[in-house]
Amino acid sequence: MRNAYLDQFPDEARVIKAAFWSSFIALAIGGVLGLVQALHRTDVFRFIQSPDYYTVLTAHGVLLVIVFTIFFLVGTFTWAVTTSLDRGVVDTRFTWAWYIMMVIGAALAGITIFSGFLESAPSILGSELNADVLFTFYAPLEAHPFFYIGLVVFVVGSWLAGVDWFRTWLAWRRENPDERIPLPTFMVLTTTLFWYICTLGVSLSILVFLLPWSLGITESVNPLLTRTMFWYFGHAVVYFWLMPAYLMWYTMLPKFSGGKLFSDPLARVVFVLFLLLSTPLGIHHQYLDPGIAEGYKFIAMTNTMFLLLPSLLTAFTVVASMEHGARQRGGEGYLGWLKALPWRDPIFTGMALAGLMFAAAGFSGMINAGMNINYLVHNTWWVVGHFHLTVGTAVALTFMAASYWFIPQLTGKELWNRSVALGQVVLWFIGMTFMTNAMHRSGLFGLPRRTAEPQYQGFDFEPAVGTVGEINMQVALGAVILTLSLALFLLNMVMTSIGSNSESIPDNTYADTLSGAEDSPRILDNLKLWTAIAVVLVIIAYTLPLASIIDAGGLFGPDIEGFRLSTWVDPAVIESLSEVIR
Amino acid sequence: MNIHTYEKVWIVASMVLIVGFIATITYGAVGPGIAMIDDDGGDINPDEINDDERFAEPGVEHVGGNEYEVTVVAQAWSYTPSEIEIPANSEVTFYVTSRDVTHSFSVVGTNVNTMVVPGQVSEMTAKFDEPDEYGILCNEYCGEYHHTMEGKLNVVPEDEFDLTELSVEADDEIDAGNETTITANVTNGMQEDLETTVSLEIGNQTQEEDVTVPGDGSEEVAFTVDSADLDEGDNDWTVTVDDYEESGTLSVVTPEGNESADGGDGDA
Ligand code: HEM
Ligand SMILES: [Cu+2]
Ligand SMILES: [Cu+2]
Repeated sequence: MRNAYLDQFPDEARVIKAAFWSSFIALAIGGVLGLVQALHRTDVFRFIQSPDYYTVLTAHGVLLVIVFTIFFLVGTFTWAVTTSLDRGVVDTRFTWAWYIMMVIGAALAGITIFSGFLESAPSILGSELNADVLFTFYAPLEAHPFFYIGLVVFVVGSWLAGVDWFRTWLAWRRENPDERIPLPTFMVLTTTLFWYICTLGVSLSILVFLLPWSLGITESVNPLLTRTMFWYFGHAVVYFWLMPAYLMWYTMLPKFSGGKLFSDPLARVVFVLFLLLSTPLGIHHQYLDPGIAEGYKFIAMTNTMFLLLPSLLTAFTVVASMEHGARQRGGEGYLGWLKALPWRDPIFTGMALAGLMFAAAGFSGMINAGMNINYLVHNTWWVVGHFHLTVGTAVALTFMAASYWFIPQLTGKELWNRSVALGQVVLWFIGMTFMTNAMHRSGLFGLPRRTAEPQYQGFDFEPAVGTVGEINMQVALGAVILTLSLALFLLNMVMTSIGSNSESIPDNTYADTLSGAEDSPRILDNLKLWTAIAVVLVIIAYTLPLASIIDAGGLFGPDIEGFRLSTWVDPAVIESLSEVIR
Repeated sequence: MNIHTYEKVWIVASMVLIVGFIATITYGAVGPGIAMIDDDGGDINPDEINDDERFAEPGVEHVGGNEYEVTVVAQAWSYTPSEIEIPANSEVTFYVTSRDVTHSFSVVGTNVNTMVVPGQVSEMTAKFDEPDEYGILCNEYCGEYHHTMEGKLNVVPEDEFDLTELSVEADDEIDAGNETTITANVTNGMQEDLETTVSLEIGNQTQEEDVTVPGDGSEEVAFTVDSADLDEGDNDWTVTVDDYEESGTLSVVTPEGNESADGGDGDA
């Protein structure tokens, strides 16, 4: 008898499949836009106008780090909760409801962004439909209200998804009062809790300040306040993307390596640390902001450094579990066991390469986190190199590799082509190596991020090693390889989905542990306690900075009206500027 | 809780690493005194930048010794001033604010890199030891032509640097037979006195006067010009002080009704 996820939970499988496809569509569009950016900036091939570059970039950012990642996350988490609790969700209609809500939110934000390409965008609610504000939407850049509404609807959808997981867990607990929370569910719940804490900041920023302001109900905003509220969310969201990848590394990778998870207790400690520390360090994105005292930046820096701990622990556990797996498979020797790992398996290899890149990202991340070294690299392409290693590879490549396991589980169909899949994950790794290495290097000589034409009239960049031209070629080459890899991934997903049913789908299980939950103190499962501490830490880190920002600039700022990019510029200015540019 | 020995070793090593990082960075930030951007710059209403004491006339100011202040206003998509000149061996404090959206003020290849948030003043101090030329760019997206937002920072040899300004007041016309005054106003932005010579060239004459312009002050030099020394019609003049000059034209005209009083050339 086949015992895939589809056979255990056919209704849930349908929602999860829908969530995954939503995420793949976002990945497909976003990835192609990434190629457009890479070719445009490096001046290898420019076919859009430079002002449209920022519409492309807004779409790339929002589609990839909000839509792609979070849709994949909700799919993974629903799978993790139901699989590890061995029961379905309480009510699949509720599950569909939050999924549809997220789709509506994403579509609304997406349409508003893409409308920015139109020669004359339609006017709705008294203003032109566009949102050339990038995914950080710093006021006083102003987007159409639909952009903000779309984001909030999407986030509220994700909140309801969290309610769904909690509800399912509570139902399970009534049936199993004395049992420990299974590890995958524990990971889902702790992650959901810090998601509630951090999204509160950005939701309030939108609902209280940005949306009323874009609707013309309020007149002004305090740019530093909304910016700080964005980053209150903006770092934690990074961990939100990462947690499903961690979940896969802890609960699936050991199994794919042929062994067991080294330690369940330590995995719990890691997730508790993320719950505690994900939010009270957002100010590390504002080291270069005026109006925030050095002391608060210092607190954020210290918290950031301590947040290295769970990632270092993860590195240990993951490697130790892989080694255990390799030795089970007959691997021997000091490093010789590495050869015994299943390198021909695209799922294993994809995740292992993702983990390897994440280690590299750890190094560039430590540079970013240093308050003083940050001055050299802030807002340069160094940073873009860094997060294409983290979210662009550690997360995205893990998700793609995981899809090779999930999609057969959800459809009951065998993966179309394993060799193509293996080639795909390796190509992603190679493409990212080229692109991010070049990006890091160019950040060191000051090449700015988010810039359509980083070629200036009054000065040239001076790389310490190599040339700007050679670096540009590496970025372009890397981007082309990545896009090819992306196409192969999508091809495999489509072909698998239209393939025929197979009886030989593996059972839906996750990794066993060498040292299980019974080895860990029960207090680790006390979610109320950890949430309370997390809230206290947030209050400590944020009360004073927010108070001083509001004290200086007022809640609504000193009469700062919005700048709608496509409408506020005097056409004569554009005319004369484009003269200069030509 | 049951923790494997290797795990314990790893945890301890990780904590040592983390505390080590914090210590190094703390030392790096507090020790050699790399100044961070913080709330020292204060806040400002973007609508009132033009009336602000500091930002009404952005540019370079001498504070004393080797210390300078540079104020810059950022707006989509330029900096005012767009070119900044400072001397080598100087310690410069930048004050930057924005008229509209968030920008950055980033001197390429240096640690002078700050966000410029409307409503806030970014203040940062940096030392410039050697003469050099730096590009300035905006690395925060600020609208459609964000990529065109740039400036220059030129660090010139100390002996080539001054904050002298010259302005000249002169009539355009003078009646034949009369005298007029060309007034040169020399301002000295440095805190020390400036000893120099102002000269006027007009027609084929040169007049010179030595002046001492007090620190952070100005001095007026008036040159008297007699039409008798000039040709009828246009006479070009140039006032020079150090490397600065200003020129204009003075026309000598024959007052109406006086025509042929002292016998023109007959071509009038
Ligand atoms: C085909 C693969 C990809 C390519 C070629 C690509 C290329 C690029 C390039 C060239 C930029 C720099 C734009 C600039 O600074 O002006 C960029 C920005 C960015 N990319 Fe990608 N990327 C890819 C995949 C991804 C993935 C998978 C993610 C995340 C899951 C991602 C997230 C981002 C983000 C968040 C930004 C910054 C947006 C901003 O500054 O507002 N990218 N990408
Ligand atoms: Cu962060
Ligand atoms: Cu800009």
